[in-house]
Amino acid sequence: MNKKNIDNEILKLLENDARIPISEISTMLDLDEREIEKRIDKLKNAGIIRKFKTSIDWKKRGEHRAAAIIQVKVVPQQRAGFSRICKEISKDSRVKDLFVATGEYDLILLVESANIDEISEFITEKLAPKKEVVGTYTHIVLREYKRDGVISFDDKTERLKISI
Amino acid sequence: MISKRVKEIPFSGIREFFELVQKSKDVVSLGVGEPDFPTPEALKDAGIRAIENDYTSYTSNYGILKLRERIAEKLRLKNRLNRDPEKEILITTGVSEALDLAIRAIINPGEEVLVPEPSYVAYKPTVWFAHADPIAIPTTEENGFRVQAEDIKKRITKKTKAIILPSPNNPTGSVLRKKDLEEIADIAIDKNLIVISDELYEELIYDDERHYSIGSFNGMEDLTITLNGFSKAYAFTGWRLGYAVGNSEIIEAMMKIHQYTMLCAPSIAQYAALDAFDHKKEVRGMVRSYDLRRKLLVKGLNSLSNISCIMPKGAFYAFPNIKETRMNSDKFARALFKEVGVAVIPGNTFGASGEGYVRCSYSVSRETISEALGRMEKFLKRL
Repeated sequence: MNKKNIDNEILKLLENDARIPISEISTMLDLDEREIEKRIDKLKNAGIIRKFKTSIDWKKRGEHRAAAIIQVKVVPQQRAGFSRICKEISKDSRVKDLFVATGEYDLILLVESANIDEISEFITEKLAPKKEVVGTYTHIVLREYKRDGVISFDDKTERLKISI
Repeated sequence: MISKRVKEIPFSGIREFFELVQKSKDVVSLGVGEPDFPTPEALKDAGIRAIENDYTSYTSNYGILKLRERIAEKLRLKNRLNRDPEKEILITTGVSEALDLAIRAIINPGEEVLVPEPSYVAYKPTVWFAHADPIAIPTTEENGFRVQAEDIKKRITKKTKAIILPSPNNPTGSVLRKKDLEEIADIAIDKNLIVISDELYEELIYDDERHYSIGSFNGMEDLTITLNGFSKAYAFTGWRLGYAVGNSEIIEAMMKIHQYTMLCAPSIAQYAALDAFDHKKEVRGMVRSYDLRRKLLVKGLNSLSNISCIMPKGAFYAFPNIKETRMNSDKFARALFKEVGVAVIPGNTFGASGEGYVRCSYSVSRETISEALGRMEKFLKRL
């Protein structure tokens, strides 16, 4: 395995489970733990590993949150294109995802907050008044089934516990 | 009411233990014998399309020709087997059926079939159902559980008709090497033995090992029935799809039984698998996952007190030696389940020479492997 492949293997393992013990990565990839740690640090420093996150089912926890997907039509600015406004909006902690996309609208946002009022505040007070924004189209999320590749319901498909 | 032959076949005593595990809510199971991946999307979609397009009637007894052609192409490229898709390939309802057909097509009552052990649990009963006698050939850990030519030779009598040859092996994970197979081929040719080569796990192979099809060896064309299927490589177990390959005389004989007892393999599964061989990338991904978990499990097992485990080279099973615990396989498995809720399969389930070992599957998540190892450690410390 060449160096890039090893890093990719490490990344795949971490992408699947950020808490995988270094000792297990070391066993799986036949590399000593120090080496793995060094590589992970390097990947962090290079900004390739952006962050280690946890998928949480807040609803199950009894903490209800509101979410909305907002499509935004934007007038691109000279020299900055969409980039300045995208960065600006991204800084808002309520914005969980932001994409520039093709289609009638230019940006797609996933916004999450404690309740609908806060989302509405975000749109009316912050997003819509921006001079580049010429229109928004808001979809309130009714139910969540999958988020970031993680299924948000209890899966009932079960294999046999014993099969010879 | 029940026939003598069926009555004579012992009900494995381990069954009630398995039932207990099956029903248990809190069990960390290393007892699974199938992929823990879903069927690749493309194959699922092809299956759904088959239903929507009403490809739901009987197919040719041999299976749909297109699929046989795809299999023939794969056999030529991967296995160096040149077989006529019209007459030398039979699509079956899983390899289980193919095995039964092979035995019934060639074995007369009272003849003997050599069965290396430990090995898949169905081999011996299938021979019994054909009113023939399975003759076990024990394999040992020292030889990596690879069946040895001289051990085969010793057991050949006038009544010996065939040998079942699984590689990679369930439960030991052993992979027969080219030299092993050449020696076995020499014996088969010399003694006119038919080799039933079970290659179901051929894609699941690790390190520098390679899979060879004994049917491609000089002089073996007419002496080999190659069995394979989609279950293990394509996470396709519930679809039930396998195939048998051999000379037209044998395949026709197998077809004779198949047409009256099964008629054809499930049409939907056949259509779903049509383009399976185009999805090597998905297979490689699964094999890579198994490989990583294999290393994790085997290293973990070797770090436990009184347990040692050789590195399996194929399939998705480790077969650790538990003799130092001074328990037999059965007792070990039962106690492990009772004390810490970990399920493994006693090695003697796979034949007498599996005594002193247990089968642990690594077709489970990494988390399951870690949890099982942690619990096993606790269990072994208490002894």
